[in-house]
Amino acid sequence: SFCLHPKDMNHTKGGLVIFTANSHPSSRELGKRIAERLGVELGKVQVYQEPNRETRVQIQESVRGKDVFVIQTVSKDVNTTIMEMLIMVYACRTSCARSITGVLPYFPYSKQCKMRKRGSIVSKLIASMMCKAGLTHLITMDLHQKEIQGFFNIPVDNLRASPFLLQYIQEEIPDYRNAVIVAKSPASAKRAQSFAERLRLGIAVIHGEAQDAESDMVDGRHSPPTVKTTGAIHPSMEIPLLIPKEKPPITVVGDVGGRIAIIVDDIIDDVDSFVAAAETLKERGAYKIFVMATHGLLSSEAPRFIEESAIDEVVVTNTIPHELQKLQCPKIKTVDISMILSEAIRRIHNGESMSYLFRNIGVDD
Amino acid sequence: MANIKVFSGSSHPELSRRIAAGLGTQLGTVVTTKFNNGETRVEFGESVRGEDVYIVQSGCGEINDNLMELLVMVDACKIASASRVTAVIPCFPYARQDKKDKLGSRASITAKLVANMLSVSGADHIITMDLHASQIQGFFDIPVDNLYAEPVILKWIKENISDWKNCTVVSPDAGGAKRVTSIADKLNVDFALIHKERKKADKADRMLLVGDVKDRVAILVDDMADTCGTICHAAEQLISAGAAKIYAIITHGIFSGSAISCIDSSRFEAVAVTNTIPQDDNIKQCSKIQIIDVAIVLAEAIRRTHNGESVSYLFNNVPL
Repeated sequence: SFCLHPKDMNHTKGGLVIFTANSHPSSRELGKRIAERLGVELGKVQVYQEPNRETRVQIQESVRGKDVFVIQTVSKDVNTTIMEMLIMVYACRTSCARSITGVLPYFPYSKQCKMRKRGSIVSKLIASMMCKAGLTHLITMDLHQKEIQGFFNIPVDNLRASPFLLQYIQEEIPDYRNAVIVAKSPASAKRAQSFAERLRLGIAVIHGEAQDAESDMVDGRHSPPTVKTTGAIHPSMEIPLLIPKEKPPITVVGDVGGRIAIIVDDIIDDVDSFVAAAETLKERGAYKIFVMATHGLLSSEAPRFIEESAIDEVVVTNTIPHELQKLQCPKIKTVDISMILSEAIRRIHNGESMSYLFRNIGVDD
Repeated sequence: MANIKVFSGSSHPELSRRIAAGLGTQLGTVVTTKFNNGETRVEFGESVRGEDVYIVQSGCGEINDNLMELLVMVDACKIASASRVTAVIPCFPYARQDKKDKLGSRASITAKLVANMLSVSGADHIITMDLHASQIQGFFDIPVDNLYAEPVILKWIKENISDWKNCTVVSPDAGGAKRVTSIADKLNVDFALIHKERKKADKADRMLLVGDVKDRVAILVDDMADTCGTICHAAEQLISAGAAKIYAIITHGIFSGSAISCIDSSRFEAVAVTNTIPQDDNIKQCSKIQIIDVAIVLAEAIRRTHNGESVSYLFNNVPL
């Protein structure tokens, strides 16, 4: 079993202490579960916002010489969440903690990890800030792009939620053997394939008009620059103009007729593309449509759109609190992943190998 | 030769516009919004390659959001090959969390954390005003220009308080004594301060006035006013000590919670506050609040920084 007796936790002289630096009570749920599984109490800390909106963190027990774990889940107020975590980490560092491990199941700003026109690579900025504040280790889950690990100069453990999602498919979807794993755009094809291989199912990929508008804006610095006036280009330079991309009509590569369609992705946030994909799959003959995603951000109107769509069920993990969204839309189901996070914490604290948690994880997952 | 480009964050666009106008230019185009999931989104609408960029963002309102926006804007400029990026932060955020107060305190020195964050984002230079503790300059490894509001405050006093030659400048606590004596010396008037006498644990602290305000105009000066408990309490004391009229002059008017109603119901003739923090809403709610414009000081500091001229002129003079 993964539960531990309190006396086993004092392997290092200082012991360990687990904090959550969230001011929102709903964001502390995951931290409480993890602490329960480890058989410890959450560390005493007060996190709140002062009248002038500054965040204040007051740690109310000693952290000197201890292994500190800061569990932080992302709420709607992303910037405050990040600030709370940084202040907590820095406070622990100046209070002589032995090590400070951040547990961020969903890494914020992970979608802003590339150069976009004249934008900022915010996840690199956040990585630098966390390391500078004193973080010595990071545990996260299903990073949007694995390369984000390279933004840090501290060890990063990128855990996977797929074993839990696969287990849900096998246990909760009665005729899953008649299912097809679907990628709603070519970008998620790799993930769809790794799921399909594990379940011995076929895949389908949707491509075309209803593409995520974001993917075209990745690097707006067209090379060469698209200039209309020929006078701007030196007459001797015969640089061919880039033909603007034209989206083909929607095509579904793979057969979904008479089958259950399971769309898999890492993040479900704005659901327009998921709803459109579901429509397409219904038209092509799928009789039931599931969406499985690790991180259920489900911002603004997402629950309503899902409720009104052709999607039958949306399954997300509890990396991001979504109680409110579940009330608005009963189609949303939760898979609990606190077990793997608590196991990771236990192994790191005891200096044990983490490879057990990564067994059977394919290269493409 | 690099040009000056001034961009504004969302915290105080009005001040940024004034600064740009003071420099004879317009604000640059930048999109600063949020995605649906609450993440900040920044995209510059014009080239900054090789330019001298100034980003104006004050630590007020939704502080964490505005701080993150500033960091993202600085980072974006750096990776878009700006020649130099200066963060102009009229009111520095988290300035009061700048030390560990008690022995064994496990608080964070958040001002140092903010300094680290600004350095990590790539800022080359910081321009700020009336830092709560000037030691915060030392938290940075990059140059920090801590401008003073004192010259504009002195100008305001001379232009708006008719009886200023007979006034007493008062500090609401012992910590502000240096600030107040500097102003009193330049006006050639007396000063006083209010001292908190800590009694025994079960009794309330007593506030004592040290100095004379009887039949005089008393001018309370402080760098920050947040909940205004301190200055409103001080107002009561000065009245009961016989002051004829009382004014308050504050550099950073945070005014959170019920501060404005506190001031409205107080005995102040006027509360003058600089525009390092937006005050439009506050003026509508309380007629006692008056604005001291610091855009000219900030604009002049930017101009001098850009041209490589001395900024020390601004420590004693108001630019024309």
